[in-house]
Amino acid sequence: MHIEIDEITKAFGATAALHPVSLAIPSGALVALLGPSGSGKTTLLRILGGLEFATAGRVLFDGQDATGLSVQDRRAGFVFQSYALFRHMTVFDNIAYGLTARPRASRPPKPEIARRVTRLLELIQLPEIGSRFPSQLSGGQRQRVALARALAIEPRMLLLDEPFGALDAKVRKELRQGLRDIHDETGLTTIFVTHDQEEAMELADLVVVMSMGRIEQVGKPQDIRARPATPFVRDFLNA
Amino acid sequence: MRPLIHRSPMPGLGLSMGITLTMLTIVVLLPIGALLVKGATFGPGNVWEVVNRERVWAALFLSFRLSLLAALFNLVFGVLLAWVLVRYPFPGRRLLDAAVDLPFALPTAVAGIALTALYAPNGLFGGLAKEVGLKIAYTQWGIFLALVFVGLPFVTRTVQPVIEEIDREVEEASATLGATRFTTLRRIILPMLAPAALTGFALSLARAVGEYGSVIFIAGNIPLVTEIAPLLIVIQLEEFNYDAAAAIGIAMLTLSFAMLLAINLIQIWSRRRIGHV
Amino acid sequence: MSDTTLPFRNPTSETVLARRSLIALAVLGMALLVGAPLLMVFAEALAKGLGAALESLGNRDARAAIQLTLIITAIALPLNAMFGIAAAWFITKFDFRGKAFLITLIDLPFSVSPVVAGLCIVLMFGANSLIGGWLVAHGLPIVFALPGIVLATLFVTFPFVARELIPVMIEQGRAEEEAALTLGASGWRVFRTVTLPNIRWALLYGVLLCNARAMGEFGAVAVVSGKIRGQTATMPITIEMLYNEYLSVAAFSMAALLTALALLTLLLKTLLELRHADALAATRRH
Repeated sequence: MHIEIDEITKAFGATAALHPVSLAIPSGALVALLGPSGSGKTTLLRILGGLEFATAGRVLFDGQDATGLSVQDRRAGFVFQSYALFRHMTVFDNIAYGLTARPRASRPPKPEIARRVTRLLELIQLPEIGSRFPSQLSGGQRQRVALARALAIEPRMLLLDEPFGALDAKVRKELRQGLRDIHDETGLTTIFVTHDQEEAMELADLVVVMSMGRIEQVGKPQDIRARPATPFVRDFLNA
Repeated sequence: MRPLIHRSPMPGLGLSMGITLTMLTIVVLLPIGALLVKGATFGPGNVWEVVNRERVWAALFLSFRLSLLAALFNLVFGVLLAWVLVRYPFPGRRLLDAAVDLPFALPTAVAGIALTALYAPNGLFGGLAKEVGLKIAYTQWGIFLALVFVGLPFVTRTVQPVIEEIDREVEEASATLGATRFTTLRRIILPMLAPAALTGFALSLARAVGEYGSVIFIAGNIPLVTEIAPLLIVIQLEEFNYDAAAAIGIAMLTLSFAMLLAINLIQIWSRRRIGHV
Repeated sequence: MSDTTLPFRNPTSETVLARRSLIALAVLGMALLVGAPLLMVFAEALAKGLGAALESLGNRDARAAIQLTLIITAIALPLNAMFGIAAAWFITKFDFRGKAFLITLIDLPFSVSPVVAGLCIVLMFGANSLIGGWLVAHGLPIVFALPGIVLATLFVTFPFVARELIPVMIEQGRAEEEAALTLGASGWRVFRTVTLPNIRWALLYGVLLCNARAMGEFGAVAVVSGKIRGQTATMPITIEMLYNEYLSVAAFSMAALLTALALLTLLLKTLLELRHADALAATRRH
């Protein structure tokens, strides 16, 4: 899905989190929102997901205005920094939640739900863990379950907030490849937030560098590295 | 085998252990032991004979049934109150929060006469109720009301910290997966609150079953109808019938211990299910 | 779409209507269940004017009841505080088998009906029991006398202080005390200069709760006191006697006095929670 961000601003009280920000994301891209904390990258992601509403400006999904679309109707697969798994449900029930929470009329029948969950567990390469509770999983497994849960609703895009933030270096590397594979397999427009430039450069097709609520530069990783557009980008990449 | 007490460089082992065990023995263990010994010397058959009378069964059943109803009311209202106190800022919230503890702080006899004065047929609310043909004081409604009052804080106070700890991202995750707010409340929030709410429910129930002071004024104390179990003990004692009092006391103690066990089982169950309480 | 008409709806909050209804329900419920009885106490006490209320509190039996309640509290509180500190020290500073069982035993009085507690004390120390009979013969009756009321009060308030201290002391660990010991401090000195400052607010909190219950205990005291006017009738017992004699103003005046104390307790408790939240048990932190 093609996403267009048109002059979005966001203010929390008197402080501006996002100055007018515009960005076009081509369908099927894997995009990194890169910047230090407080740069507005998570706020932008949450606005796309419908968890925050912009103070002004528009969001267009495939050319359709989605600015006022409620979070429930956006069908954005969102992976949270803390993963936010439901700890009183098994892995199976977590992944099935987006389907079982639908009103009866649009809810798939039980065998269909089971089939989809099984397929997603295979996709994240954890076919055996359906009956476990989140507290019994490792950090990397939790992240993958959160990803599967987001995919279960057949989302129109995938939004990930610091998806590797809470993991150690070795698991990070493995899961980066995992995200790449899933992106390539599903073809979903995928946007993830990170403060780790190496991660952004290695994984993304398109990197958006942000600072203080503004977009500093948008480009392919190698272009940004070769030609930083602002002193901030240069300093940030060298840090 | 583990030693009974690990060696430790900490001072005061003898003193702290001595005070703890001595006071525990004199204040709690010996008196409870005396009740059990009294029951044993009276004989299990005789104990059963005292308890197995219509009036005693009626009182035990009444205490338990109304306590259960009051605890159920407190479960629903307590969760609602906790939610409102944690999640919604509104003028007077601090005051309301402090007022939740009033039933703990107010002497039960004071609560008893105040509720009676309010809900008696010539009282403010009792008069209104009489208009619609409802008698509250001196009926089982009155007992229910008093038991609701004394058990009010338990559920709210056990559930409040759990609501405070709920990760907002979990609620957001539910919304991004398409769940309406109502579905999120029903399938995510309530199950997360359930273990704490059940613990509060059990505490409220245990308190209500043994409650005396706030109930006797409003109950009317008619045998078989509004006579609670603790009152039976008091009546037997006033007639110096210690054996019968002990028999009923043992029945009540058994009920209390059963509920204590239930509370512990709930906590173990929830710990196993969720990983921690 | 213009930016002012966006239907801003926080996805983790209920609709304004739902919120308002829930707040209204909570406030209404509390007003009926808690607020109304509270006002009733003062309204009934002042039904015949302030003069009548004060006069009823000034008579000999009323003064004796107030005095008795104060004496009982003055005995029970320090004993309970001492027990609470000793038990918390024993449980948190040492490792021994049966610790969980000991904690269960300390919590036991919470799940025993006050009337059953009173009954237990009567059976243990009453004139027809072994120990009680011997004590009566030697001129020290327990039941229907001050010691029995104190015992009953101790029973029902038994876990209060220990329960506040144990979680706080577990959280604080043993390192500070161990450090003081390595510096050569004596046991008492460690307790006074290291432990006590760390637990003082939790201790005060526990004592406060204990105090409210000690002054107001009815069921357990009713069984052991014998209700002798002017001698073993505490304030709550006197309220019952006056109420049963249809002396409404007198009963409610004494009730108002206890209610004022309860409100004071709540005020102090709220202040403690506001000022010293981090020094109190973790579950109460807001």
